[in-house]
Amino acid sequence: MVAFRNNDASGRTTGLLLRCVLYSLLALGLIILDKRYAHLVQIRRVLSVAAYPVQLAVASPFEGWDWFRENVSSRESLRADKARLEAELRLANFRLQRYEALEAESQRLRALRDNTVGVTDRFIIGNIMDLDMDAFRERVLVDKGARDGVFMGQAVLDAGGVFGQVARVEELTSEVILVSDAAHAIPVQVNRNGLRTIAQGTGDTSRLKLPYLSTSADVVVGDLLVTSGLGGGFPAGYPVGTVSEVKRDPAQSLADVEVRPAAALDRSRELMFVWLRPDAPVAPPKAAPATTLPAAAPKTAAAAPATPPAASKSAATKSAATTPPAPAQTGAPKK
Amino acid sequence: MMRDDPIRRLPMLLSALLALALSVVPLPTAVDALRPDFLALVVFYWSIEAPRAGGLGLAFFGGLALDVTQGMVLGQHALALTLMAAWATNLRLRLRVFSMLSQSLTIFAMLTGYQFVLFWVDGATGNPVVAYSRWLAPVIGGLLWPLVAGILKRSRGR
Repeated sequence: MVAFRNNDASGRTTGLLLRCVLYSLLALGLIILDKRYAHLVQIRRVLSVAAYPVQLAVASPFEGWDWFRENVSSRESLRADKARLEAELRLANFRLQRYEALEAESQRLRALRDNTVGVTDRFIIGNIMDLDMDAFRERVLVDKGARDGVFMGQAVLDAGGVFGQVARVEELTSEVILVSDAAHAIPVQVNRNGLRTIAQGTGDTSRLKLPYLSTSADVVVGDLLVTSGLGGGFPAGYPVGTVSEVKRDPAQSLADVEVRPAAALDRSRELMFVWLRPDAPVAPPKAAPATTLPAAAPKTAAAAPATPPAASKSAATKSAATTPPAPAQTGAPKK
Repeated sequence: MMRDDPIRRLPMLLSALLALALSVVPLPTAVDALRPDFLALVVFYWSIEAPRAGGLGLAFFGGLALDVTQGMVLGQHALALTLMAAWATNLRLRLRVFSMLSQSLTIFAMLTGYQFVLFWVDGATGNPVVAYSRWLAPVIGGLLWPLVAGILKRSRGR
């Protein structure tokens, strides 16, 4: 970059340097304000409302095409769909039969332990807008925003399991960060034995990792991971994924565990925004007492007494948007 | 003297709006990383051909719009576009007489600079992106330059 003041024929672009410096300083100021002080939420909201027509204009042809395809689909495929859905419904109803009773029983047992974890209260459905955000981050734009009551950090599910959480709320839209984003972490629990840890995204929609499990941790391929409800961001007991690979290198202290997400991260179109029941405490108010009921969560209590709930709560709260801190509550190894 | 006329801003704004739309059009994941920076190309064109029509302002506010639609830190694309648009404006007299090939190469350099500023802000704000594919977008952009410049030239009715 040589002299900015070009004495060319027009001779009128003097001040280019000045304007460049001014605009750059303005942009730098915005970056710092946005990053450091979060002062710009209101400004961004106004701007995003202004950008909404553009986003809508881009997304609607694609949605229109989907609508068109749906409307001209043949009788045959509709019948096949109907048969498949009926079969699924039958299966779901069959599984649901005992659900109410089991949930009540679970709540009662947990109440005995003074350990009611977050329970879902209500939810709304949002549609993913057909728009690409930054190519290197796992985020989607959803057509529900502050107007619908969506809030920062809210849990988002799809039909298969946990999808992600709300990373930014605008007036009409919100940005959801997927569980597979490299900057996302979620407190989970192995369904089989209650072992608690944190699942981190990898930047690849087809896998998550469990970076904080020791080589001796009791986790095997096929284990179902569910949300632990610690940290309060996510309701407890929703599937996050299944363990797809466990590598144990004796020379390392931590195991290398990969997880296949339960949610259809790259295919889902409809998402559920979840509210936790307000009267239910979001995490155990105090450590599970030693006299806990053996049936409720036998190995959890044994493996991680006293401190972990509090530690993992703060860990999980922090981990909401960024990477988690230290591998604090990896869960003691057990055989 | 006639080439720097500031009169016709409509094609400029329309082309910027179109570029903004193209930057959010859904693409398959495999090619998403290769998406060229359409808005940068458009801003470079107007910085070179009509700098007095407000190329820097277009760069700044267009970049801001991109920050909002892409969900990035506010000011990131604005900073990158402003700096590179200033560079393009500074080089415009030479660029106008360059052959298409040299123009494309220069544009490629500018797009790389643009990506570098984005990369730097990403790192400085604590969201580093380590994917190498990020550096492919400038190549595609450079290859697309003759096409974009041709279309925009038509839009000015010359």
